[in-house]
Amino acid sequence: MIEVQDLHKTFATKTGSVKAVQGVSFSARDGEITGLLGPNGAGKTTTLRMLYTLMAPDSGSVRVDQFDVQRDAEAVRRRLGVLPDARGVYKRLTARENIAYFGRLHGMSEAAIAQRIEVLSEALDMAEVLDRQTEGFSQGQRTKTAIARALVHDPKNVILDEPTNGLDVMTTRAMRDFLRQLRAEGRCVIFSSHIMQEVAALCDRIVVIAHGRVMAEGTADELRAHTGEQNLEDAFVKVIGSEEGLHA
Amino acid sequence: MKALWTVARKELTDLFRDRRTVLISLVMGPMLMPVLVLGIGKLATNRMESQLEKPLEVPVIGAQNAPNLVAWLEGQNIVIKPAPADPEAAIRDQSQDVILSIDSRYGQQWRGSQAAAVQIIHDSSRDDSRIPVERLETLLQNYSQTVGALRLVARGVSPGVVQAVRVEHRDLATPESRIGQILSFLPYMLILVGFIGGAALVIDVTAGERERQSLEPLLATPAARTTIMSGKIAAACVFGLINLVLTMAMFKLSFQLAPTFGFKLDVSYWAIARILLVLVPIVLISTTLLTVIAAGAKSVKEAQSYMSLLMLLPMLPTIILMVNPVKNQLWMLATPFLAQNQMILKLVRGEGISALEWTVYLLAGFGAGVVLWLIAARRYQHERLAISG
Repeated sequence: MIEVQDLHKTFATKTGSVKAVQGVSFSARDGEITGLLGPNGAGKTTTLRMLYTLMAPDSGSVRVDQFDVQRDAEAVRRRLGVLPDARGVYKRLTARENIAYFGRLHGMSEAAIAQRIEVLSEALDMAEVLDRQTEGFSQGQRTKTAIARALVHDPKNVILDEPTNGLDVMTTRAMRDFLRQLRAEGRCVIFSSHIMQEVAALCDRIVVIAHGRVMAEGTADELRAHTGEQNLEDAFVKVIGSEEGLHA
Repeated sequence: MKALWTVARKELTDLFRDRRTVLISLVMGPMLMPVLVLGIGKLATNRMESQLEKPLEVPVIGAQNAPNLVAWLEGQNIVIKPAPADPEAAIRDQSQDVILSIDSRYGQQWRGSQAAAVQIIHDSSRDDSRIPVERLETLLQNYSQTVGALRLVARGVSPGVVQAVRVEHRDLATPESRIGQILSFLPYMLILVGFIGGAALVIDVTAGERERQSLEPLLATPAARTTIMSGKIAAACVFGLINLVLTMAMFKLSFQLAPTFGFKLDVSYWAIARILLVLVPIVLISTTLLTVIAAGAKSVKEAQSYMSLLMLLPMLPTIILMVNPVKNQLWMLATPFLAQNQMILKLVRGEGISALEWTVYLLAGFGAGVVLWLIAARRYQHERLAISG
């Protein structure tokens, strides 16, 4: 369970300041997939970064399973599995070593790590590449390694920043199945995307973000009803106010 | 604490799989050291020996003016050469080190018991000609004194009359302290090895990791940022120390393999161990300082561009002491780089170091390391740290 309350974040730049996030609130429930949909530069990544304690909000609060991100940052990080926008893997380590490294940083025992790697390797279909150094991995194999690494400690809450970015059709399909599996396991899943179709196909709840603000929130049906549009794509465009930066 | 070792172990595993980098820093680096030390030392002694002992060729202008002097010089291991057409040009284009010019009035002055004029033509800014000039000048002075003394004796005066003061030297330089002079660049070399041994790694694990986009997921784990940073610094320190130990081993080996080197250097295990101890704070200072820089830099390239500037740091005390030699004082042992310089010189010269000096040195060295570590830890808390681009 992740509850976001009125987040604000401003960055200082050479030319002045940029209000990246200005008043984002939503909540993501366990056993549901919550999608953050918005054009590029809408503030999705900054919002997520405040969720996994990489950045501190200027104002507002985030609670993960009742833990506040600012007061109990470490407890929050223990309860989160994070696939950030930056998902580099160590290319001279094997996929297994990459995953085990993060397991150790979560304080897991070697036996528990080995067991989790078996489970994740099966779920993500990566047994073949598990003991290869990740140098020369395809984009899909790298993303799978990064996801397995993020989930090694069996977190209750999962945050994925554009998980299907740069993946081919087959891998994208597999990734969507994997997200559904996470939901079926009762986890709270948040993922961001600028691809409408993906959000519509996967999400129980959709949070539409543009210009650092939440423009609309609800199920796909609620969004359609809210905008009076039959077509979901038209509903999004109406909510955001322009078609800029959005993929069908 | 466990997380710290997890990070350190991972960084070292990662590094040691990069065989070429490891080979370059752990094999070529330490090998270069003795080659330089022995090579430069050998060259210097060879030159000195040949310049001091080989017959010295001196072109003489107006040799016919002083046949006796010329004949005497020829008996003193000097080969008299005909004068070049343009003596000044010959000195300037370095085809001659030194030229002797005998004035045409030499014979006349000589017969009149006046000081007969000769001229040594040379370029004092050329280090190369220093020994030949000294050799020639000493010979001429000897000749002058001998003949002068004979003249006094002929007039019934004791030669001691004109010598109001007789100066003698008692040189207290020990063989070891002479080495210190010859190897004044040695501390700089060792400090540099300590300084750059872990540098590439420590820049890579912060600025490089951010560039490779893996710092953000790493910081999303429960491990505290300070712990992660300390693990990275620890890994770089370990690598820097391995580098140092290998270098010192090669250093010891090369001095043992060259017994005819001409002087004795204290390379016992005890001395080597103490030199290593002197260099440990440098490793800590280097890795923490570079972490401060790497955490603030936007890219690896930016962080590395500081390196060329930082390489000058260990060189500064050597240069300052060369231009402005000062006596050893306690405050020097509290000044990074200068302190290492003084301590290593003391050790290779075989001088004692008091307990107070060790205490001041180690406290100041590790103190500087700890302060830099605290600054680095502050920088690591910055939220911009993980974000590239």
